[in-house]
Amino acid sequence: MRSLYVPAVFLLGACCCNKEAVLTPVPPPLAPVTAPVQSAIVAPMDDVYFAFDRSDLSPNAQSQLRANASWMSSNSDAKVVLEGNCDERGTTEYNMALGERRAISAKEYMVSIGVNPDRMSTISYGEERPLDPGHNETAWAKNRRVHFRVK
Amino acid sequence: MRSKKFSITVSAVVLFSLFFLPFLLRAEEANEYIQIRKQGASRISVALDRTSASGGRESEWAKTLDTTIHNGIEFTGLFNLMPAPLNMRSAQDGALNFGALTSVGAEIYTGGTVSKKSGMVNLDMAVYDAVSGKQLLRKLYTGQESQLRPIGQQFCADLVELLTGKRSVFGSKIVFVSNRTGSKEIYMCDFDGQSVVQLTSSKSISLSPALSSDGRYLAWTDYASGWPDLHIKNLSTQTSVSVSKQGVCIAPRWRNGTDECAVTLSFEGDQEIYLVKPNGQISRRLTYSRGIDVSPTFSPDGSRMAFVSQRSGGPQIFIQEMQSKSASRLTFSGTYNTQPAWSPAGNKIAYSSWQKNGEINIFVVNADGSGLLQLTSGANNNESPSWSPDGSMIVFSSSRLGKKRLFVMNADGTNQRALMQSDGDQQQPFWSNIR
Repeated sequence: MRSLYVPAVFLLGACCCNKEAVLTPVPPPLAPVTAPVQSAIVAPMDDVYFAFDRSDLSPNAQSQLRANASWMSSNSDAKVVLEGNCDERGTTEYNMALGERRAISAKEYMVSIGVNPDRMSTISYGEERPLDPGHNETAWAKNRRVHFRVK
Repeated sequence: MRSKKFSITVSAVVLFSLFFLPFLLRAEEANEYIQIRKQGASRISVALDRTSASGGRESEWAKTLDTTIHNGIEFTGLFNLMPAPLNMRSAQDGALNFGALTSVGAEIYTGGTVSKKSGMVNLDMAVYDAVSGKQLLRKLYTGQESQLRPIGQQFCADLVELLTGKRSVFGSKIVFVSNRTGSKEIYMCDFDGQSVVQLTSSKSISLSPALSSDGRYLAWTDYASGWPDLHIKNLSTQTSVSVSKQGVCIAPRWRNGTDECAVTLSFEGDQEIYLVKPNGQISRRLTYSRGIDVSPTFSPDGSRMAFVSQRSGGPQIFIQEMQSKSASRLTFSGTYNTQPAWSPAGNKIAYSSWQKNGEINIFVVNADGSGLLQLTSGANNNESPSWSPDGSMIVFSSSRLGKKRLFVMNADGTNQRALMQSDGDQQQPFWSNIR
């Protein structure tokens, strides 16, 4: 909004004086006293990762979830879908169920640290939507994730 | 009154004798044949003669029929096929030269003639025992020109039934998932991979197709709504219902002897198996165990269900009695056993096992846990086994050639080969009953 403020003032100034349009440069307004917008400081939500065939949360996962919860509280209107995913190994049907357990595991932790459950829905994509199409442990580790998608 | 009833009865007996006794006699002879064969270990050698025809059109038909019959019999993997010797028929009277057959080791000879009658295809086929010269079968097949394949396969089914007592796979279909359009959709093909038809076009993700045993309903998981819903389609009326419960609706399988479908739902807070009616209504809940319960498959009489459960840690296969709901563990070898498929022909269960060396391979075990047999190895990942309706073959998805492709093999693991050429990945095959 601030970026629009200055040109708008120029425009208003130009409209007021019909004959001799002397455009006096308006000094830029002082920085507003209100606190800076939170989203500039709080990092956007990131993926949470899981060990192979597991849906429990490692310390790193919990830490990321706390950061995600922080974003949620700074963006109190936001609703998110927690998308559970698996790597390509293992079998399709079992991975569907495992992906869901990961999403629910993440959601339950978020609820436990104060995020309103009504703001979060869960879905599993099993192994159907890998982030990294590679066939190695690096790719697989990236795919064993819950992704937070803002609606 | 009495005399009328009497004469009707006599007529009935006479008619019965005239029509049915000859067939009964033939069946008896065939049974003797089958018994003798069972004792032998080697495959029966069958000589398929070219079908005779006169006329351009008929000759084209003969070629198609010969290819269909040869490919069909070969597909079963049950016989040692050879072309018939050239000097089979006597030039003078058309009599069959059985000596020529036995000299090349043929035990069974088939041959016939195709002609056109009222625009229809008429295939007159005969099967002989090469050693005795006895005719084992003589049958006329008719149909439209567009039905040459089914006509040829009808003969194949009759020949295989004659020699083994079972009609093999002819007439059955396979449904599967392919992403050749760019998204995963459900397709159907004939047992031999021919005549592929696209069944869904959700342009989203469609998974885990399963046909009911009467072939009437197709069930599958579809993300068309944005969520993984269970879809049930009546294939004759082409109408669908969907089950959209909170959570997943995955891995449907129909319960034999009923019209109900078992599926994993998680709307009550955990992934459990439920029975669902064809109209989408939930019938009842089957499992009550914390952790994943998924991938049901039923015994031929529908009284038992094998499924995957996390209840003892990693995924293992369990068998539950439908009546008592008591479950016991089936698999103890390996740490990740999933995708069970119960043979329609008896008490064998095929499944995939993820092994320490990173391969996923297909195993078969008896329902009582005995007779564990590994069917694939050294060929990347081999998943989603599904039995042919007669239990003689297994279709599965293999990544041994790079992309995932459908493969078939005999139930003992021999003769593994790709089912079809197609773009994209092919997965999750399900082999229907013969209709």
